[in-house]
Amino acid sequence: MEKLLFFVYSIGILIRIYLSFSDFSTSIADRVEVSTPLNSWKRVIEGVSLYNENINPYDGDLFHETPLALVFFSHLTSTLSDFYVSLVFIACDLITAFVLYYTSKIYTENLLKQQTKTKHVYNKKSKLLIPDDFSVINPFYVCSVYMLNPYTVFSCIARTTTVFNNLFLALCLYSMVKRHRLLGCLSLVLASLPTFYTFGLLAPLMISCASNDSKNKTGSFIITFLTCGTISCSLLYLCYTIMNEWTFLDSVYGFILNVRDLKPNIGLFWYFFTEMFEHFRALFVCAFQLNASVLYVIPLSIRLRHDPLLLATSLLSLTAVFKSYPSIGDVGFYLSLLPIHRHLFYFMQQAFIVSCFFVGCTVFAPTVWHLWIYSRSANANFYFGVTLAFATTQIFLITDLLFAYIKREFALKHGMKRMINGKKARLMLD
Amino acid sequence: MGLLTDPSVGHSALTSIFVRHHNRFCLLMYAISVVLFCMLAHYSLSSQTYFSENALLPGLVKGQLNDNTGSSYRDHFRELNAEAQHYETETPHAYLISKFKNLRLETYSHNFTLNYPLKKNTKYTGRNVYGILRAPRSASIESIVLSVPYRAPSSVFPSTLPGLAVLFQIAQFFRQQIYWAKDIIFLVTEHEQLGMQAWLEAYHGTSCGSPGVLNSGKLSGRAGAIQAAINLEIHSDKIDHIDIKLSGLNGQLPNLDLVNLAHRLCNKESVRHTFNNVDGGAIGRSKLNSYYTNLSTMMSMVMTQATGVPDGNHGLFHRFGIEAITLEGYEKEGRGIYSSVFQVGRVIEGMFRSLNNLLERFHQSFFFYLLPSTDRYVSIGLYMPCLVLLVGSLFLKAFSTWIKHSSEHKSGGSSAKATIHEHSNVGMVSVIILGSHVVGLMLLPNLAPAYFTHFWNHIPTHRALLLGYGSVSITMVFFLPIIMKKCLNSFKSSNWVLLHVICLLELGIGLLCVSMHNFSLGYLTALVYVLPAVCTKSSHNNLIVKLLWLLVHPVCSLFWITAYITYTAYPELPIVDFLTKVLEASGQWMVLSTVDNMIYGNWAFSVGVLLLLPVWTSFWCLMFLPTNVSQKLKTK
Repeated sequence: MEKLLFFVYSIGILIRIYLSFSDFSTSIADRVEVSTPLNSWKRVIEGVSLYNENINPYDGDLFHETPLALVFFSHLTSTLSDFYVSLVFIACDLITAFVLYYTSKIYTENLLKQQTKTKHVYNKKSKLLIPDDFSVINPFYVCSVYMLNPYTVFSCIARTTTVFNNLFLALCLYSMVKRHRLLGCLSLVLASLPTFYTFGLLAPLMISCASNDSKNKTGSFIITFLTCGTISCSLLYLCYTIMNEWTFLDSVYGFILNVRDLKPNIGLFWYFFTEMFEHFRALFVCAFQLNASVLYVIPLSIRLRHDPLLLATSLLSLTAVFKSYPSIGDVGFYLSLLPIHRHLFYFMQQAFIVSCFFVGCTVFAPTVWHLWIYSRSANANFYFGVTLAFATTQIFLITDLLFAYIKREFALKHGMKRMINGKKARLMLD
Repeated sequence: MGLLTDPSVGHSALTSIFVRHHNRFCLLMYAISVVLFCMLAHYSLSSQTYFSENALLPGLVKGQLNDNTGSSYRDHFRELNAEAQHYETETPHAYLISKFKNLRLETYSHNFTLNYPLKKNTKYTGRNVYGILRAPRSASIESIVLSVPYRAPSSVFPSTLPGLAVLFQIAQFFRQQIYWAKDIIFLVTEHEQLGMQAWLEAYHGTSCGSPGVLNSGKLSGRAGAIQAAINLEIHSDKIDHIDIKLSGLNGQLPNLDLVNLAHRLCNKESVRHTFNNVDGGAIGRSKLNSYYTNLSTMMSMVMTQATGVPDGNHGLFHRFGIEAITLEGYEKEGRGIYSSVFQVGRVIEGMFRSLNNLLERFHQSFFFYLLPSTDRYVSIGLYMPCLVLLVGSLFLKAFSTWIKHSSEHKSGGSSAKATIHEHSNVGMVSVIILGSHVVGLMLLPNLAPAYFTHFWNHIPTHRALLLGYGSVSITMVFFLPIIMKKCLNSFKSSNWVLLHVICLLELGIGLLCVSMHNFSLGYLTALVYVLPAVCTKSSHNNLIVKLLWLLVHPVCSLFWITAYITYTAYPELPIVDFLTKVLEASGQWMVLSTVDNMIYGNWAFSVGVLLLLPVWTSFWCLMFLPTNVSQKLKTK
């Protein structure tokens, strides 16, 4: 297994290095599916050079990273040459894959421990129990999906800031399974400061930190919440001290929430907001943003309170679908989390259709884009059709995963064969 | 949500019916698709064409072109003819420039060089001449092009001199009008499409083909963004009919409004107008007869479009988002009613004045259509289902194969064992898929032909290419089965469903993408490849299927097509001559597509090499992969 892991790693690195230094890198970086106004490297470079010229980069509508990131990237680009900057991005992806590997390993081991503890409650159907080799194979799958998935590869080659974001998210997930509060809070805040939406992960973090001490759960919740709050407030204040004014808040969060840039991307916002009558804008912005940020957090937290990592996965995937400037880097990240939940795959029904649609949309989007932008024969509706199909596919995937969890829970207790009055019963999600 | 049923009960009734009878469903879908496609030409499925863009206002234009002021058409033509006879093979550039200057146009010339890609140090040069009539009513923001390809008397193609004389006449007339709001560019190109491509590349400052092949040079004068272009090829001053040509590079079509405009104005000036040399309207034809005529017209459009080669100089404009058509005027032979060049001139005048009215660039109406007649069209919503049915049968096949496999998996054996099986499979499958694509990549038209011609440099280019591609194909056909049989015995697995499914999906998705760009190419390819793909099983394929696949190998398919074309052209050739002719023609086709790819960016060859060949190779591997014998016995 170690050999295979090493093999996958080296292939992932080789692909990244080859593509980063080939001519493809610029054309990949210019794709709207990969680079959004929030994460594009071009904009980072612009912002950094403005900053170095002592011009406030937040005055224009160009730069939307946080001041912390601004300072970081400014240092990065001034100390390292272009070649090494690319290597930094590749290294970040590598570390993310490592962190995810260990996350998955610990999570599966915990799952196995829990299984032996609660075995007596389950129905006598050995098939549903998780075999021991999952703790070896799952992490390998997670790691190889992250290393070889074209979505993450493209995102890394285009040098999107999503790469750093993914690293912090992976650290956050790691501290969730490790039940490490401080690291979790810190990485969560670092991941959420530039992208905002991932604040929803606070819920699984709170749950997993609270499961350590079974007595005082509310206290633990409050401590986690306060830690996160303090860290984010102090980081925001740090940002303020860097810029000496609060305008960056509008440039970062106002830009995300008001959806000012309607450049097409794989999300659903741009088309709706170009087509909509202007005076309904406020209403729809609120509706869309609520849907993207908080709507699912509470109900899912209640239902999935025993499995914080699944909760985190589903929240991440939902934000990747519904957020205002999604990119395929986000999609790639949550896709690589799926093998962690491989014990649920048995109950998933739509895997084939979903994967067909994933591949189809990925190939179709550039085709239709070419027809629209270059040949001028198609139009925006074609591209929106593909993004809509892509979003639907992802929602299908998430629903399927969640339903698989519920079905497995049910089957563990009641067995696989369900008979009502001598007839076969079926579970329906209504 | 009925879709999200749970697995313990098994699949829904509908799914299991599909899975059980998927082969029948696939064949049924195939048959329906073919029938539906043939039905498209019928009156009830096509609709009457109409103008979507109201700004064109073709009805308001009254042709005023006449012979009263300045030199007459006869003078222009006589002068031009005399000049052309002087230069047997060359273009009289000096004459053209002075002529344009005399017509008081801003005149420029444009040099370009072609470095012939398949032979080192072979250069061809050419020179285009163009004149710009600046619009008196605007600031050179937009323009319209009227182009004529110059053909020297030695050219194999019919003369375009009458068309050029018409261009002079029109330029002279347009110069006197005050209503122009868009610049008009009069362009005379050299070397057929090459000159046009070079001029367009220079105008837009880009390069479309492989770098360094066509050196398009620089333009010293420009007008605004080109809104539309009309290419004129008139072979005689007694015109039998005007044929309106649309098919562009890679099967791109101009906006239907422009095509309608041409037909409408021809109608108005009572010029006989045709599409693919067939008249419109159903007057004097029986219903069945008019259906057959429509079908054959539509099929000839499909054939032209599928080649991806433009059928006139207009086809190169489409890539730049410029709507363009060719008006080809055929000579009237014998006696009878004919149209004069003035009628045709007034058609062009009408078109230009309509285009002059445009407020935005063409965006209404259709870009995706098939034409069964001059006045009827089939929209994308009607013809796409034909292709979707074909591709759908591939998806259905893949789906049912997968479901069958996974249900077998779930019922027999523990899941742990199954994962190990899958595991070993995944590696081998990805090696096969990757390998076939790498071979495809290496055979790309901008890589392999250069090697082939370098390696066999003592024989003609087309033979070298034929030899190269032929030998690679034959090697693959014969060696892959041996490799599969000999080396992969350790990889015995119950079946290779994963490989099968991936092949089917790749073919399906690839065909959909191709057909979005070029429906005809996508559909015809699908017609050929879906049938064997649907007939193939994951294991234990019989000889007939293998033979079927052998017949549709991309290179074999090329042979069949050239054989058919050669047979229709020379039906009475003895068999040996016939075969050599077919081989030569195939080689020549390869050279032409390679050169087209490198100069114009035509991707028909690339599709063959990057989509069809890898899929074919993977299927070929699938059929010879070793399968587990015990499993076979068990199923029996």
